[in-house]
Amino acid sequence: MTLTQEKTIASRVRADFPILHQEINGKPLVYLDNAATSQKPLAVLNALQDYYQQDNANVHRGVHTLSSRATDGYEGARDKVAHFINAASRQEIVYTRNASEAINLVAYAWGNANLHPGDEIILSVMEHHSNLIPWQLLAQRTGAVLKFVELTETEEFNLEQFRGLMSNQTKLVSVVHVSNTLGCINPVREIGAIAHHYGAKILVDACQSVPHMAVDVQALDCDWLVASGHKMCAPTGIGFLYGKLDVLRSMPPFLGGGEMIADVFLDHATYADLPHKFEAGTPAIGEAVALGAAVDYLSALGMDNIHAQEADLTAYLFQQLAKLPEIRIYGPKPTPTGDGRAALAAFTAGSIHPHDLSTILDQAGVAIRAGHHCTQPLHRYLGAQSTARASLYFYNTREEIDVFITALQEAVEFFGGIFG
Amino acid sequence: MTLGNLRDLYQQVILERYKKPRNKGKTDPVHRFQRGHNPSCGDTIELTVQLNEARDQIQDVKFEGEGCAIAIASADLMAEALRGKRIDEALEMVQRFQTMMKGEAEFPPELRKLNALGGVAQFPVRIKCANLTWHTLKAALEVTDGVAANGFISNETE
Repeated sequence: MTLTQEKTIASRVRADFPILHQEINGKPLVYLDNAATSQKPLAVLNALQDYYQQDNANVHRGVHTLSSRATDGYEGARDKVAHFINAASRQEIVYTRNASEAINLVAYAWGNANLHPGDEIILSVMEHHSNLIPWQLLAQRTGAVLKFVELTETEEFNLEQFRGLMSNQTKLVSVVHVSNTLGCINPVREIGAIAHHYGAKILVDACQSVPHMAVDVQALDCDWLVASGHKMCAPTGIGFLYGKLDVLRSMPPFLGGGEMIADVFLDHATYADLPHKFEAGTPAIGEAVALGAAVDYLSALGMDNIHAQEADLTAYLFQQLAKLPEIRIYGPKPTPTGDGRAALAAFTAGSIHPHDLSTILDQAGVAIRAGHHCTQPLHRYLGAQSTARASLYFYNTREEIDVFITALQEAVEFFGGIFG
Repeated sequence: MTLGNLRDLYQQVILERYKKPRNKGKTDPVHRFQRGHNPSCGDTIELTVQLNEARDQIQDVKFEGEGCAIAIASADLMAEALRGKRIDEALEMVQRFQTMMKGEAEFPPELRKLNALGGVAQFPVRIKCANLTWHTLKAALEVTDGVAANGFISNETE
């Protein structure tokens, strides 16, 4: 990746994101909180507005024109998502509010029906709370047992220890594809193959991978994969569950209501075919349409180009951070070309509390995340009460990284005086 | 960078108390115990309070915990300001502090050190940090009798 290419992508897309062109505390906004949520391009905002201005109606109900258009938009977006992650069938894509709801869907519908006392669920210590709490609740309901994969010395998924945890008791492995804190990219295909060897299922939390790299569910051979729209340029309130057709077919419904039925009688009902069996009630139609627009936008840029651009930024970010001796970054180091990890850095800066750091950076217009990033157990494991995190997306630039680094230096100096 | 604003927030006394808090630890004996938690950032404050025999006046307050400069300085300055105060006076101070966080009050001269935290009012997202210890104190003092050994209060409802 060359600087020329970086300039090409960044300069091409900056104008698409009106929100980035504003001042915060008198300084140009530098938005480095993309792992929390991404910004939305005009193409997505317009899709949302166009839907409500031209096509709004309920889906799958009316025979009138607007209803037909709304249904086409909603189902068309499903085709786009299916194609985006290379699902074998559009029926394998279930819309949810977000990734958390998708995981809860699996935990209730599949988990309640399939887990028994003593069955084991393998997670890792780096999981986001959304890939932890639903399984804690499931374990409480069924008597299943949770086991945890720890980290290697380089703060990555410990594959060897994982192998040792697997047994015929293992029924499910649920792991994050890319850690939102460590930035490591987990070998989910290999993890899935090991899980399948023991007859266990695998769920992949792809919230931090699908927005940033090409993800192919058939190549990963996972049973389920979940992602959230708002981290990939779409609005909040829409995410999706991918599930293999036969696995989804075997699962009973999750939520009951309209949309998910075939025939309803007073005392029983038959259910709609996939994917509608899992989409009770009027869905987030406009948001789904906008998710389709986000997928179009990302596809037009090319996921490989996005990934390459982010690798270039990662290499630069880590080079610059290495110049600040006070900074301790968690997770694996990138290769010199910026590969091998996600374009984010969770770090601590000596004795400076991340909240104080974030306030000082905000005065310089720089938005970063401070706290536990919904990975409290991981922070406990790492011995850090909280961390600061800068997370990038394809619209970020080297110049923005420079602004961030300068502000970080100033913050270290501001506090350095008292801890010196 | 707007250092002026930051100097309002991080006044010298706040930075000093963050670096070297004077009231860390546990009171002996412990008449009130309360744990306060800020779920959004993980900051935690554990307050212990020693009361007089009549249990209506504070003799000592100490804190343990981890937090940002604002949270720690607030706890340390609060502990100091509370010594010798009656419980009803302490609860009034909680009220006044929370009003100060809206930029609508300050403390009288004898408690002026607490006014160093007044700058937080300009940083709405940080008010929770400053309030954590006061919120925890209120819960500790509102326990009517004995030690609430499992006392735990979340700052999230603020």
